[in-house]
Amino acid sequence: MKSLILITALTCAVFAGSFNKAGVAPVTNELYKKECGSCHFAYQPGLLPSKSWDKMMLNLSDHFGSDASLEKEDYDSILGYLRKNSAEKFMNYKRSARIVNSLRAAETPESISKTPYIIKKHKKIRADLITQQEVKGIFNCTACHTTAQKGIYSERDILIPNFGKWED
Amino acid sequence: MKLIFTLLLLISISYASVVDEYLVTLGAQAKVENPNFKGFDAKRGEIIFTSKHIGKKGKEVSCVSCHGDDLSKASKNFFTAKEIEPLSPKANPNRFSEVKTIEKWIRRNFNDVYNREGTTLEKGDVVTYIINK
Ligand code: HEC
Ligand code: HEC
Ligand code: HEC
Repeated sequence: MKSLILITALTCAVFAGSFNKAGVAPVTNELYKKECGSCHFAYQPGLLPSKSWDKMMLNLSDHFGSDASLEKEDYDSILGYLRKNSAEKFMNYKRSARIVNSLRAAETPESISKTPYIIKKHKKIRADLITQQEVKGIFNCTACHTTAQKGIYSERDILIPNFGKWED
Repeated sequence: MKLIFTLLLLISISYASVVDEYLVTLGAQAKVENPNFKGFDAKRGEIIFTSKHIGKKGKEVSCVSCHGDDLSKASKNFFTAKEIEPLSPKANPNRFSEVKTIEKWIRRNFNDVYNREGTTLEKGDVVTYIINK
């Protein structure tokens, strides 16, 4: 009994000030889902720090070579939502914490797939599995992570098209 | 019963009128820009929709690249592989139900394919083509 209390106390100490939630906070904003989920799934704001969202939102008319420009009112509302829910504000979520902690202080990544944590996690995947028609690039999280819409990116929920389950 | 019928009729009229009204507005503008304007043409619209051009991303694409050959069927986004619901309002009643949405996508998609915005005539022609196909 005593040791159980001790273990519990120790566990709490280890996790204090660290994440206590798996994955990344799910998307809750309907306007965001509609506008930022029309060409690809709506990425959770907790996958990038606010400085990255700010930078991306500055040039929506040339968004990775596509025109994703918005009306002023929708723009303001979406920028507000991204800033309020960005990764550094949700360090209690494991993936947000991992992404933020992998960045150098002066670094402003242009995309989620360019953050050191995400690069490192996808290093071992064969290139042709990433470039194939059904996937096209690492940007397409939902092509392989079957629970990405819910903010869950764990290994057991990965199913790569024309390959199958991922056993590390 | 009569009331319900009238209501349904009103709903269907107001529904159909979004794209019709949009085309009337575009038509009036086209007439100002060119006094010889005779109306929009689905044939010209078809060429706009199906012809390939070097777009904003530097790749050769057409409207068909993302919306497919058969507008009554779902298709796949050429760049992101995400599914796109059918573009034809006959197959997909959500289409052409809001001017703001129509304008937003026509602006973006002309930029994607033609690397510039569409002219009034081009927009009217291509919308006429889509809703009649
Ligand atoms: C008109 C289509 C379109 C819209 C609308 C759009 N995007 Fe994108 N987005 C793209 C394309 C194309 C890419 C690049 C995919 C690739 O890498 O090939 C992209 C990439 C991204 C990425 C980088 C993914 C990665 O690789 O890490 C993020 C983040 C992103 N978009 C967020 C947004 C947000 C936020 C909005 C809403 C303001 C939005 N997008 C709206 C087309 C769009
Ligand atoms: C081609 C398929 C594929 C795509 C696309 C993809 N992933 Fe992954 N992802 C994987 C695989 C496989 C792993 C496991 C790699 C390993 O641990 O060896 C992984 C691992 C991860 C992990 C770590 C999981 C863990 O349990 O350690 C995260 C987080 C993650 N991916 C997020 C993303 C995000 C966010 C995107 C989109 C920007 C994305 N992935 C796109 C296949 C993919
Ligand atoms: C890069 C891919 C892409 C290309 C190329 C493209 N579109 Fe689209 N288009 C989209 C997406 C994505 C949507 C919105 C998805 C949705 O609403 O399901 C859309 C929506 C539309 C709509 C919206 C109608 C409504 O009210 O919902 C129209 C009209 C349209 N496109 C016309 C065109 C025309 C005309 C062209 C050629 C000049 C074109 N598109 C080329 C991706 C594309």
